[in-house]
Amino acid sequence: MITDQRHEQFMERIQRGEKIEATDWMPDEYRKLLLKLIHMHAVSEIMGAFPEKEWVPKAPTLKRKLAIMAKVQDEVGHGQLLLRVAEDLAAPLGKTREDLMEDLIEGRVKFHNVFHMESPTWADAGVIGWLVDGAAIINQAALLSTSYGPYARVLKRICAEESFHMQHGENIILALAGGSKEQRRMLQEAVNRWWESLIFFFGPVEVTDAARRMIDYRIRTKTNEELRQQFLKKYVPRIHSLGLTIPDPNLRYDEESEKWIFTEPDWKKFGEIVRYNQGPKSQERLKLRRFAHEDQRWVREAMVRSQKMQVV
Amino acid sequence: MMQTAEQIVQEPRLRHALTELLYQLADDELCLGHRDSEWLGLAPDIEGDVAFSSIAQDEVGHAVFYLERLHELGEAKPDQLAFFRGPGERRNAILLEQPNGDWARTIVRHFLYDIFDDIRMEALLQSSFHSLAQGVVKIRREEHYHLLHHKMWFTRLAQAGGEARQRMEQAVSEVWMEVGGLFSLGEVEEEMLHYGLIACGSEGLAQRWAERMRPLFDEAGLNWPGMPVKPKRDGRKGEHTKDLERLIQTMSEVVGSDPDAQW
Amino acid sequence: MERDHRVEYDVFEVFIQKTQADHHVHVGSVVAPSPDVALTTARENFLRREKAVNLWVVPKEAIVATSYDIPGWFAREMDRKYREVGGYSENARLWKMYREKAMKLEDIVRDLNRKPGYADGVNRR
Repeated sequence: MITDQRHEQFMERIQRGEKIEATDWMPDEYRKLLLKLIHMHAVSEIMGAFPEKEWVPKAPTLKRKLAIMAKVQDEVGHGQLLLRVAEDLAAPLGKTREDLMEDLIEGRVKFHNVFHMESPTWADAGVIGWLVDGAAIINQAALLSTSYGPYARVLKRICAEESFHMQHGENIILALAGGSKEQRRMLQEAVNRWWESLIFFFGPVEVTDAARRMIDYRIRTKTNEELRQQFLKKYVPRIHSLGLTIPDPNLRYDEESEKWIFTEPDWKKFGEIVRYNQGPKSQERLKLRRFAHEDQRWVREAMVRSQKMQVV
Repeated sequence: MMQTAEQIVQEPRLRHALTELLYQLADDELCLGHRDSEWLGLAPDIEGDVAFSSIAQDEVGHAVFYLERLHELGEAKPDQLAFFRGPGERRNAILLEQPNGDWARTIVRHFLYDIFDDIRMEALLQSSFHSLAQGVVKIRREEHYHLLHHKMWFTRLAQAGGEARQRMEQAVSEVWMEVGGLFSLGEVEEEMLHYGLIACGSEGLAQRWAERMRPLFDEAGLNWPGMPVKPKRDGRKGEHTKDLERLIQTMSEVVGSDPDAQW
Repeated sequence: MERDHRVEYDVFEVFIQKTQADHHVHVGSVVAPSPDVALTTARENFLRREKAVNLWVVPKEAIVATSYDIPGWFAREMDRKYREVGGYSENARLWKMYREKAMKLEDIVRDLNRKPGYADGVNRR
């Protein structure tokens, strides 16, 4: 009975537009939904470092080298901010940073489909910065009004830094778009490679039960499809303005429904890539994360040990 | 006597000595910054990953500063110098072109280099090349954090005992083979000193370095392996290993696919 | 060798002081094996772009806080205009009777940096 009353009060707070904090009472369902979302967001930032990282040693000018280093660093930094939010949510469940990281390595938490894919050319580094980040920014900006205070606060910081990432990505692709025939070809191929992943990125068109619950709790306020439409509205005209094509013959704006019509991605294929980590680069990148986390456990152990020795 | 780039280009011997010195500085920082950046996303913890990446960026940023000074003296543009010089034209110490190895080796190499770099910059504060002396003041301020960061890691890992200590000892013995190469000033050391470009010769740099380094080994509880010897090959004279060839190949892969294009 | 498989870092809350005229402001937290590591990582995790003059890291357990669940903590329900500038708007009207203007703190601060004179707004002939 007490729980019912608490739940009711909680929902009233949500409806009044109040923010919930880590130490507040919250329904288990709210905690679980949030934790799942933020945990996935956090590890996606961390895994998202890898496709671009491949191009850090190969960046073609000194300025690009510095910029892409800074950009990948920011992504890891966003992972850090989000992990801390997830850790505080997971603390009452007895979970810590180590557990959240192991969940990733053991495949118990998913990361975004886009980071399972290959980035074989420099143009991919540009397209990731431009379109993948573009999609992620729309997602994150829509979450700024989330009912969970700690998440809202780190998102504010993250979005501020993403505005640099947008410029960074655009700058790379604008150089390629204005460059040689070969550079333009490289850019077009990268757009072709990423398009279906980008459409999938926003998730299924129908509103799932979990998504509905998240909207009820005001964890998020927009549906997948609303966000995807935003993305198409902003980016399709820009892609076309560069003289690039989009690999979807059905893509068009429907005046009547005021919506972009697109070919649905292969939901099953991408769903499995994300669920079972069986994309073209999933295992290779998880191996990198495993190297960082497991092969270097000795470093963390040593640092904790030496601190204990100093205190004693 | 302070001199500007315009004055220096009038004197070929001076100019040569100065460009050699600047290449040593630029190539050390570029190699190390490049190697540091290989740790992106792979450091032992997330917070440390972010911190270490800043150090990598600082090193590349310092390389850019030195390359710009070279361009002022009539050398090619910084990008050209960074991406299109062959190994024989590079003047970094061999230590810095070697792959990172594990975290212990990364920390040991970096810390040993940072102390050397600090001593070298100290010897550049009164450099007769005005803009170098000025820049070094700024760079030293940034390097302060690097020294702090690496001293902490160096001391704590060594003090921790167990596997960490073994790895640190292993790293020290590996790095010691090449650390002596840092102190070389290459073929025109005498001219560098004669023209007042740097206030201290290679012998002096090595001495000062050992004086500062030894107590830090004591503090960390590590055995001092004795004065480093001169390695067989001298990177300052353009003598390098396959590691540098591979590094340059990787670094210039994209821009090398079309050197005339805008990237 | 014995391996302690669970390595747990501590949580440190991070506070940044932008200038010495400002207080330290909380910006987030880091996990770290020790306070000195926390200080070095906090710099790069929170100050990659912004400037600062000082940093604090504070063990999370050291923070004592109010509860969001008790709204009474911050309740101020009754009229407290008597302690605010807005509660004294009639001064301006009263000063007018004496052909003077109401004075604000901002005016005082601004005039401190000007040349002293006979009186504000009056030219002595």
